Amino acid sequence: MSLAVFSVAVLFTSLGAGVVGAILGLGGGILLVPILTVFYGVDLHYAMGASIISVIATSSGAAASYLRTGLSNLRIGLFLVVATIAGALTGAFLAGVVPTRWLELILGFALSYSAYTTIRQLADELPEDTSTDRLAIRFGLEGAYHDLRLQRHVAYRARNVVGGFAAMFGAGVLSGMLGIGSGAFKVLAMDYLMRLPMKVSTATSNFMIGLTAAASAGIYFSRGDIHVLIVAPVAIGVMVGAYIGTHLIAYMRNTTVRKLFLPIVVYLALSMILRGLGIHLL
Amino acid sequence: MTEPRQVHTAVEHLVARVLLVGGLVGLVLIGVGLGIYAADGGFHHQVLALKRVPGSAPPGVFTSMRQIVAGLRRRPIDPLAVGAVGLVVLMLTPGVAVTVALPCFLAARDYRHATIAAAVLSMLLVSLLLAGAVH
Repeated sequence: MSLAVFSVAVLFTSLGAGVVGAILGLGGGILLVPILTVFYGVDLHYAMGASIISVIATSSGAAASYLRTGLSNLRIGLFLVVATIAGALTGAFLAGVVPTRWLELILGFALSYSAYTTIRQLADELPEDTSTDRLAIRFGLEGAYHDLRLQRHVAYRARNVVGGFAAMFGAGVLSGMLGIGSGAFKVLAMDYLMRLPMKVSTATSNFMIGLTAAASAGIYFSRGDIHVLIVAPVAIGVMVGAYIGTHLIAYMRNTTVRKLFLPIVVYLALSMILRGLGIHLL
Repeated sequence: MTEPRQVHTAVEHLVARVLLVGGLVGLVLIGVGLGIYAADGGFHHQVLALKRVPGSAPPGVFTSMRQIVAGLRRRPIDPLAVGAVGLVVLMLTPGVAVTVALPCFLAARDYRHATIAAAVLSMLLVSLLLAGAVH
């Protein structure tokens, strides 16, 4: 494939990944890495380098818009990202010490349970009652936004802050140990444990994934995994896609976002269980 | 018990602006680099090597800022080094966003979130140092 054809094709593929990433709070890497390696024949290292840049590009493109509209919560994002990065650093140290297969299996089953709870919550548009979590009040883990789809002002406050923080730490540990992105886990913890509106969960995850990706981007760069000619169309496409995604989500119901998110959780659960059994999808 | 309120202040707007400007500057630099590369005929005669060969340094792969600066100083300028600067800007943007949030929280006497922002920055720095050490 010529460079020109490759660049245009990757640009449009990344645009789609950016739209999905911005709506679902994922970096787009979960989609881009398999597509780049399987369909375009890109080396896995280069694909992962492109993925880490795509996460930052999605985050910059989407979070800028989400923060202005109040959909992304800066305070909740910063509070939780402390746990994620601390977990990732811990995980990096534990890698090689703890057998990863068992962890992959545990994670796979935990994700399967999350998929089950996501199915049970599919019809829940918004959390019903106001949280009285003392830590949430103390740290101001609350917010409000105007929902264009529901045509109403939505106010929310996090609940089960300790559980959410612990889940973020755990997600960080697994991310550091297994080298997997943790956007999906962040969304699940905010949606399921902290009971934030689904759109707030994905929008806040968008802000957080940029920070966690930035923490590891340096190592990809210094290892030579970031190839300008591969990453450039990815970054441009993803950022434009993220911009489109932020406009689309404004007119979506929380239940629609959750329905779109469900297949990602199921895919992650299956791939983790298979990895635990020694079968790598990629 | 108080009702949830909208904590939507100048900090959010500033962080949003930094993310937007950082993202756009990065994007423009990447675009300019690709534009010069295309004008030089880079897209016409090349089939991209998609497999990574350990130890080799194909055009478009930079592993240090020194290599990027060398590409920028070269005449004619290495257009891929311009694109690499855009990628570095993009990589630094989230960290810069938190850096500008810190004094904003302090100015608003929100010491709790200033501490959290400082903790995030410290951990980003530690992870960068660890990445360097591992490499």
